This record gives sequence, C-alpha cells and structure tokens, in this order.
Amino acid sequence: MSQSTCVELNQLEFQWPGASFPLLHIPHLQIQQGERVLLRGASGSGKSTLLSLIAGVHQARPNQVHVLGHDLAQLSQRQRDRLRANEIGYIFQQFNLLPYLSAVENVVLAARFAPARVARLKGEAGSYHELAEHLLTQLGLAEQDSKRPAHQLSVGQQQRVAAARALFGRPALIIADEPTSALDIDHRDNFIEVLFNACEVHHTTLLFVTHDGSLAHHFQRAIELNEINQAAGGR
Amino acid sequence: MIRLALASLMNRKATAWLTIIAIAVSTLLLLGVERVRVQTQENFANTISGTDLIVGPRTGSTQLLLSSVFHIGAMTNAISWDSYEYLQRLPGIAWHIPLALGDSYAGYPVVATTPAYFTHFRYANQQPLQLTHGAWFDEQDHIGAVVGAEVAQRMQLKVGELLTISHGAGGISFSDHDAHAFVIRGILAATATPTDQAIYIPLAGLGLVHGEYTASEHAEDDHAHHHEPPVYSLSAVLIGLTNKPLALRLQRQINNYTGEPLTAIMPGLALTELWRTLNLFEKALFAVSILVVATGLLGMLTSLLASLRERRREMAVLRAIGAGPLTIFGLLVSEAVILASVGVGLGIGLLFFILHFGSTFLLEHTGMLLRATALTSSELTLAVAIVIAAISLSLIPAWRAYRNALADGLTIRL
Repeated sequence: MSQSTCVELNQLEFQWPGASFPLLHIPHLQIQQGERVLLRGASGSGKSTLLSLIAGVHQARPNQVHVLGHDLAQLSQRQRDRLRANEIGYIFQQFNLLPYLSAVENVVLAARFAPARVARLKGEAGSYHELAEHLLTQLGLAEQDSKRPAHQLSVGQQQRVAAARALFGRPALIIADEPTSALDIDHRDNFIEVLFNACEVHHTTLLFVTHDGSLAHHFQRAIELNEINQAAGGR
Repeated sequence: MIRLALASLMNRKATAWLTIIAIAVSTLLLLGVERVRVQTQENFANTISGTDLIVGPRTGSTQLLLSSVFHIGAMTNAISWDSYEYLQRLPGIAWHIPLALGDSYAGYPVVATTPAYFTHFRYANQQPLQLTHGAWFDEQDHIGAVVGAEVAQRMQLKVGELLTISHGAGGISFSDHDAHAFVIRGILAATATPTDQAIYIPLAGLGLVHGEYTASEHAEDDHAHHHEPPVYSLSAVLIGLTNKPLALRLQRQINNYTGEPLTAIMPGLALTELWRTLNLFEKALFAVSILVVATGLLGMLTSLLASLRERRREMAVLRAIGAGPLTIFGLLVSEAVILASVGVGLGIGLLFFILHFGSTFLLEHTGMLLRATALTSSELTLAVAIVIAAISLSLIPAWRAYRNALADGLTIRL
C-alpha cells in the first residue's frame, strides 16, 4: 500500500450482530491523500456504518480497513480513538457543537484528546485560541461571533465552526457526514467552497458523504455506494 | 475533564442547583444530627460536675438521677431529716446540698434548697452558677426565689416580681399555694443544663408553704422548740467530698445505712448509664438522617440518568473528536464528584451559618447548646462518606453512558 493512500478498503464485509445478512460488502476502495471524494448513497444504504468503520468507532475484521497505513482491526479501542482524535476531523449533519461552549472553545476542543494535533499546532505562531479564531475567520465566521456560545449561532455558522474544529491542528482526513443537508442552497455552496479551500491549503483528504447527487459536480471524484457495495443487505 | 464537566453542568444549571441543594440539605441534616448528638451528650455530661455522690431514698439510680439532676419524675419516697443529719456527720464530707422537689411553677420544677446550692453546685467544667440579675437568697430569706434563665425568659419574669408555686409537678394544679408567694430575688445565667428550667426557693420557704415549719412561731414564741430538728423531708442530697476516691466506700456505707433505706449514686456513672438507655432514640435519629442523605443522592442519580438522553449529541460529538468511552465514563463521574462536593460543602457552610448565628436562639428557645466548633473527625468522615456514596452511585449512569458511547458511535440517535 502506497505512502499516499489515505483510506483503503479490501474485501470489507460488515454485518450488525443479529442481522441475517451483511450490510456492507465492498471489494475494494482506495482514497489517495489530498483527494476530495463524494460518496453518494441513499439513506439506510450503510453510509453511516461505513463512516464509523473508517473512523474506527466500530471494528472491521483484519486487513479490511486501512487508514493512513494502519490496519484498524490491529489497533485497540484506545488506539483507534487516538488515531481518530489525531488524524480525522468529523463533521455531522448538524448539532456538531457543545452548545455551552463558545465557538472558539469548540474548535480548541479538537486538540483536547489529540497529541499529534497539539504537536502540529505548536509549530504555528499564536495561542490555541488565536489559531482557532484565525481559522474561524478563514472559514467566514465574523470575529464577534467566535466568542458567542455555540447555541446562539445560526445553523450555517455552526457548520463553519464544525468545519473549523475538524480542520484544527491539520488532521489528514476530514469525514463530512451530510454536512450541508441542514443548509439552504446558497449556504450549501458557500460552505462547500470554504471547506474545499481549507482542505486545499493543507492538502487534507476529504470524504464527503451525501444523499444529494447534485453536489457531485464540485468534486474530483464521486462514488456511488450502491455500485461499490455488493452486499445483498445494503438496501 | 473537570472543566468540561463543569461547563456541561452549567448548561444544566437548574437541575444542577436543585441536585446540589438536595445534597446540601441532607448533608446539613446528617451533620446537624451528629452534632446535636455529640454535643447533647457533652451537655448531658455537663449537667452536673464536682458532685461526688447523690443520695436519695431507696430507688433506682436512673430515677434518682432524673429527679435530682434533671428534675424529671416524682419520687414517692423521701429522706428524713435524721438521715440528712447522719449524712452530714459522715467523714470526709466537704459540702452537702439538700434538695426537696415536688412543687412546680407553670410546669417548671421548683427546687427547694439552701444557699449552699449556689456556693457548691457546679456544672460543665466545674463552672459555678452565675446571676444575670439580682442576688441569691440567703439563710434568713424565707420567701426569696432564684429563677433559671429559660423560665425567666419564657415566663417574662423580673426581679422583684411575685411567684406563686403549685403543689405537684403538673402545669395546672388544683392546689396552688396562693397564701405563700415568693419574691424573685435573682435570675440565673443560661447554662444549657436543667438548671435553666428550674426555680430555686429556700427549703425553709417550702416548709412555710407546706405548713411543716412556721418561722414566726418558732423563732419568736417558743424557744424550747429552737433546737428541735425541722420536720421537712428531702428528695435528695448532693454531696461533695474532700477526698474523691472515698466516694466508693461512702456509697457502700450509705447504701447499708440502717436508719432508713437510702440509695447513693455516683453521678458520672449514672449519667453514662442513662445515656446508654437513650442510645436507641439517638440511633433512630441517625438512621432517619442517613435515609434523607440517600434521598438526596438518589435525586442526583435520577437527574444524571435523565440527562443522559438529552446529552447523546454531546456524547457523540465528544466521541467524534476522539474521546474514548472511558472519558465519557469519567465525565459523568466527575459531574457527580462536583455535584456532591459542592453540595456537601454548601451543607457544611449552612451548618456553620446556623450554628454561628442561631446558637443563641437555639439555647434560649430549646435549651440546646450547640457550638460552631471545627468539624470533628467523625463529621468529616460522614462528609467524605457522602461524596464516596455519590461517586459509587454515579457509576450507574457512567456505565450506561459508556455503553451508549460504544453502541451509538458517531450516529446521533434521538
């Protein structure tokens, strides 16, 4: 497996305990570092399960999922949590933030469990808070908004903060799980643009998951989950 | 993690404060009960000091103690004056105080005694009685009265006022000794002992009331009667010895007195015995306060468990940024630690606030003397035990959150 591979799936099979047939069977999928990939699938098609396998929350069998050269099945729960903290920025559909912390504090939280992110941030000038504010400004959040508690921000602003948190400390991979489905079209395109620019700057891999095929034109590469998933259980 | 737990709790201020207040109140109650128990026991032991023997008619030691020291319960028998004179002649007697009980004023016991009571009676650590107003009655004074602090306060009594005592210990008596009123000479300072609830009159005065002794007749008319012993009978005699170790021997000697069946007790021992019989009540009180603490902690458990549902998003976010299930577990335990420590701290604060500002009120209205002294080691143990119990209970929601964190992963289930 090459140095520049970010995510590689090999004969991935996954079945929930108690299910009568597998949900996922993906013979092969490779995502290079720096690539921006759209993964499209209808809801219930196993998207979220695939993402949690890549994020290391659920465990696949040996040799099926490699992230940044690590066979996730060989890592302990703790090591997988650590790898996720260090190298994967995760953006949810909504409710990404701890409502009682400010925008900046939410961003800084990303470094809380991630020593590698901390190490990378040490190389940059400024305190964590300054770096986080800078990142938020880059992502288009007004300065006065970055001090406000997260629950006071609009959904669009919240998603920007979520993106900033995912990007904080330059992880290798950003996984975005339907990050735009709560946004209207204007905000959606704007958000995607901002996210792309940020990923471009740091050569960050982006795995963008959506049910909305109309977004495909933004991406270098678009994958249909139905096409790569051969499992009968993938509805 | 503590900061995160704090921030999360601040987000749920209302429930957090309610939980803290519940824990604070139960801590206040538990420590309060403990303090009342310990200090009451101390006060109890403080009721009499320096008295080596209490002598009364043949009865149980508890009954003699209750009537002579606490002025509770009526004695059916009495000691004759002959026996009192016999006691005075015993070797090694430093002082003796005769007590005659049985009358009352508005339900407060009236104790007939001699001025020797004020000179020799000691309570707590050898503290003598003191007056806030007026003076003692003396040997010649047959109608003077000295009133305990609580009686004076409750009945609004002042020096110089008249006092009519009634026969018997009840609040309302059908035989008031209207003909013989006493004049209040002095009011005692509060002592937190039964002395506060008593009224002291001269023994000769009681004789006047009961017609056992008539001062004017004897003193003026009939000199032949002068050397005859007075006829009033006594309820008990308090005795101080010149040599303390003598007490045991004297006790035997008095118990074997042939002139009249007598009982001599050593107050310290009898007090301990009596306290032991009160143990059950004390234990029940303690059990109730433990239950209240349990209620407070269960309240915390409920609020933590209820919060888990609404916090699944929060947990998923934390999982996404790399927090392990153990971190989630720790987060909930930290919250419990914060709630319990703040609650217990607040409870202790409240206790001292009440002790500091309310002790005078308590002493005047209930006769309970509670001091705002530093936490004793047993009180500290109780406080720590509450926190530990809270931590143990928090393992339940923490475990559930841990399980949820593993099962939910990054999907936010609502």
